[in-house]
Amino acid sequence: MDAAERELFATGIGHATVQHTGAALDAAFDDLGWRDALADDPRAAVSTVFELQGGAGCTSSALDVVVLAALGLDGAPDIGVVLPPPGRTGPPGTVAGEGVDVGGLGTVCFPDRDRAVVAAGAGEAGDDGCVVAVVARADLEQRTVRGLDPCLGLVEVTGAHVPATPRPASADAWAVAVAAGQRALGHELVGASRTMLELAREHALERVQFGRPIASFQAVRHRLAEAYVAIEAADAALGAAWDDGTPLAAAVAKAVAGRSARTVSRHCQQVLAGIGFTTEHALHGHVRRAIVLDRLLGDARSLTRRMGADLLERRSLPSILPL
Amino acid sequence: MDLPDFRAAVDRWIDANAAELTPEHGRTTSLDEQMAHLSLVKRRTYDAGWMRWGWPERVGGLGGSSLLRAYLGEALTARDLVEPGIYSMTEVLAPTMIDYAPPDLAAEMVPRLLRGDETWCQGFSEPGTGSNLASLQCRATRTDDGWRVTGQKVWTSLAQFAQRCVLLTRTGTPESAHRGITALFVDMDTPGISVRPIETMHGADEFCEVFLDDVAVPFDRTLGDEGQGWAVAMDLLPFERSTALWHRGAYLYRRLERLLDAAPDEVLTPTEVGEVFQQLFAFRARSLGTQHRLAAGERLGAETSVDKILLATAEQALYDLVGDGLSDDVVLGDDPVSARWRSEVLYARAATIYGGSAEIQRNIVARRLLDLGADR
Repeated sequence: MDAAERELFATGIGHATVQHTGAALDAAFDDLGWRDALADDPRAAVSTVFELQGGAGCTSSALDVVVLAALGLDGAPDIGVVLPPPGRTGPPGTVAGEGVDVGGLGTVCFPDRDRAVVAAGAGEAGDDGCVVAVVARADLEQRTVRGLDPCLGLVEVTGAHVPATPRPASADAWAVAVAAGQRALGHELVGASRTMLELAREHALERVQFGRPIASFQAVRHRLAEAYVAIEAADAALGAAWDDGTPLAAAVAKAVAGRSARTVSRHCQQVLAGIGFTTEHALHGHVRRAIVLDRLLGDARSLTRRMGADLLERRSLPSILPL
Repeated sequence: MDLPDFRAAVDRWIDANAAELTPEHGRTTSLDEQMAHLSLVKRRTYDAGWMRWGWPERVGGLGGSSLLRAYLGEALTARDLVEPGIYSMTEVLAPTMIDYAPPDLAAEMVPRLLRGDETWCQGFSEPGTGSNLASLQCRATRTDDGWRVTGQKVWTSLAQFAQRCVLLTRTGTPESAHRGITALFVDMDTPGISVRPIETMHGADEFCEVFLDDVAVPFDRTLGDEGQGWAVAMDLLPFERSTALWHRGAYLYRRLERLLDAAPDEVLTPTEVGEVFQQLFAFRARSLGTQHRLAAGERLGAETSVDKILLATAEQALYDLVGDGLSDDVVLGDDPVSARWRSEVLYARAATIYGGSAEIQRNIVARRLLDLGADR
């Protein structure tokens, strides 16, 4: 996409995210050519769609589209994706005889799908050596998750010895899919963070105490500055993850975005104070969303610990981000 | 010369000359030895041409993108051949001369800095003027045959080694604040200048007090116009937070790798290691964008405060980890390797103080990037 096309795309997606959520938003994305955009210019498409979705606090199954495309299974709107359970990045399925055992999450439209894609490992193994299989959605148990963020519409998905049809996939297909999903979720976290900061910033400029806007107090300014820097760090790490393309860079970006969203939530909630603690104000929805998005496809804490353990074992660092 | 060719050629050249470019007794904490070695490395690098790339031809450069400078500094600091703080002074002071000095003066002086023939310093802070730079009082008075300067500077890095100083002076009324400041390029051997190094806790006395007593400075040593000193300073400060920080980030990444290699088993916790790695990654990602904007001719400004905050935070996190992971060396060691770790652990505490304190950087973010209005 050139700059003008990108702007047009962003304007359309922006309107859609403030008007729709769930299945209606997926339909609106499709009308706006989201799948073509993803094939044509993944970086522009994913960063635009997920940042705006995160900013508006709406929900869709766009993450399924990203993961399916990374698995090489695009073009089938009736297929949903089983994501790993919260905090995990390994395949959500385990090969069990002729079928698969399944334990994971689906996005909001999962119950409407006919079929589901499950990546399944051979056993307790990690991300390597898994198969990609298609199962009938009706063969899976589903529970609509309310939990911390009911508006996100996650679905808990389980199944034992589910009949499965393997699909051809490259050895690193799951790692590539996880990386693609992590970049998308990173952008969504940045979107939610930007909205929280804007809400806190507006409040700080309007709220008057001791005869002046609280934005004039250094303690408040520095909290907002801290939030701004955290967002910029996540944004830069995401840009680098696209440039670099490796699973490691995507995992770093997801971890930085998750940690950054927590920093932003903390400072913005404090600046918004009492009103930000009520359901009359929009902040709480974004705070909830950020916590749950952090947990999808690896949370900051587990990703960081695993990365640190790898580095300690190797006792060396990869070369990163050339000029 | 494009970047991939430059990178390959510089790497080959450094490998071929490693014996000479590597400090003889390893990197010490002695500032005298570091400075002597820096001069040698700059001279060799200049004579081979590498140091001249990325600088305009009118000041002895060979032209080309500023990315070439960023890479050269990265190559030298990440291989531990030079200390990044003293190496990168060039990145701060040469652009100021190029933009504001009379062209003949820039053409005469900048090559001396690039070649390592000279060290320059930056006379900004004063005893009563730290974060509030616009309150500086060092007075320059206009006479028939030039400026006469009287006052005091402090925290002037490397002044004891310096042949020249970019000096901010008060030429307006004491109340003129940022409007009445003029920048001068001063020879440090001018009568009336005395320098006293300040003993610091990390053991390398790079900071100095500089006393100026009726020091004569010719008018043709004025950088920019009279009263334009604030603009000179504001244009200089983003350079402190761009290529110089890129070099430092590369160096810190190398030091994290050294730490992983040197720390005893089971001492470092994976989560902390992972987080420092990610902080250095995020800084590098941010600074990468800054290097490319600089190379594209964009004017750098307040947004570089984000780079500075990210680097200072990462640097302190790294050296907190060093303090924990190598605590026996840092606390008890008297060998040169331990002394170096100790010096760096202590120096990291200054990362949120020098070059604009952490608080000033956040004030800049709040005012200029978040548009929160005045703070009182």
